[in-house]
Amino acid sequence: MHLEIQSERNGSGGSVVVAGRFDAHESEPVLTSLTALLADGVLTIGLDLSRVDFIDSTGLAVLTRVMKRARESGGDLVLVAPSTPVRVILELTALDKAFVVSEVGPDIAVGH
Amino acid sequence: MSAAVNRLDGGEVSAETAPPVYLPSQLDQLERYRQWATTPLKVDPVLSVVIPAYNETQRILPTIGAVVSHVCSLEPSWELIISDDGSSDGTRRIVRELGLVNLKVIETPTNTGKGGAVRRGVQAARGEFILFADADQATPIEQLELLLGPVKTGEADIAVGSRRAGGADVRGRSLGRRILSDGLRRLVKLGFGLSHGDTQCGFKLFSRDAAERLFAVQRIDGFSFDLELLYIASRLGLRVVDVPVRWFDSPGSTVNGGRDTLLFLVDLGRIRLNEALGRYRDPGHCRRNREGT
Repeated sequence: MHLEIQSERNGSGGSVVVAGRFDAHESEPVLTSLTALLADGVLTIGLDLSRVDFIDSTGLAVLTRVMKRARESGGDLVLVAPSTPVRVILELTALDKAFVVSEVGPDIAVGH
Repeated sequence: MSAAVNRLDGGEVSAETAPPVYLPSQLDQLERYRQWATTPLKVDPVLSVVIPAYNETQRILPTIGAVVSHVCSLEPSWELIISDDGSSDGTRRIVRELGLVNLKVIETPTNTGKGGAVRRGVQAARGEFILFADADQATPIEQLELLLGPVKTGEADIAVGSRRAGGADVRGRSLGRRILSDGLRRLVKLGFGLSHGDTQCGFKLFSRDAAERLFAVQRIDGFSFDLELLYIASRLGLRVVDVPVRWFDSPGSTVNGGRDTLLFLVDLGRIRLNEALGRYRDPGHCRRNREGT
């Protein structure tokens, strides 16, 4: 599955849902989507990863970059309901300690 | 927008204060992974997964994460073997530092080529079924069940992931690679009588017996080893099934069209020579003859 992306802004918060394979081929549109929200004044973004079946090092670098940028502005990038593969990958790369993980996600859905 | 995300807007949750939160359906999967990661197998595993790796510090951890999370949800009795091929970038170190007790790192001091790395990994494997999968997850590990099925039921001795079999889903393969692959496929069919649509896909599963017989005589260290394996399998009368798989082009591929085509052609000659010199005789057959059975 190619990556599907859907984003939404609500007040000072934003939500992005991605689904599929989050790899180097697909990282640019995710980065664009997330940074567009930050540039638009959004402080904290909830990124729903519940339907991501694989994330590679480029995808992880995108998450880290956006998280740092959001925190510099007093906000954050919150990883919402990561799938099991994503959780294990975050754990093995020790990035699970760097991110905030939340169980409840944005109320928009991709692919329905 | 859900209340949860609005709640986070206030910045009250931080990495230091927020414990990891798991959905109930994930707890079992994560528990299986943690058990596999910390409890050594007491008996030989059902499945071995062999991943050859050469200078893979960028890709190996996500690949290991995807493989372990999926295979642990499928089969508790399995081992992961990373067959490092003389990496100089710290691949061995970062894999060892994971401390996963059922993950074995095989090493060699020099870079021999993918065929050598796969051979050493498979020969170290203890599983009843042995999968080798590329380090880039070009064929996602979720395709494992498709290959395991026919070998587990005894329908085949070897299941080969194929990007050309009907039903395969191939994404991002460049025109150059498609043309190169088609040309080599025609050459293989003409020169060796092999009708496999895809000899080179880095996703193949063997029964233990088939793996022992094949890798005891397999000799090519470079990337043509896939073709050599299938040729030996046909000589030994092993049953091979092509299984359509999903495949994603992976950035960072080290395939070089001109150089690799030349090496492939040289290897075709080497396979023919090895055959003429009797190097592909079934080791089981030779042993049985020596033992007078």
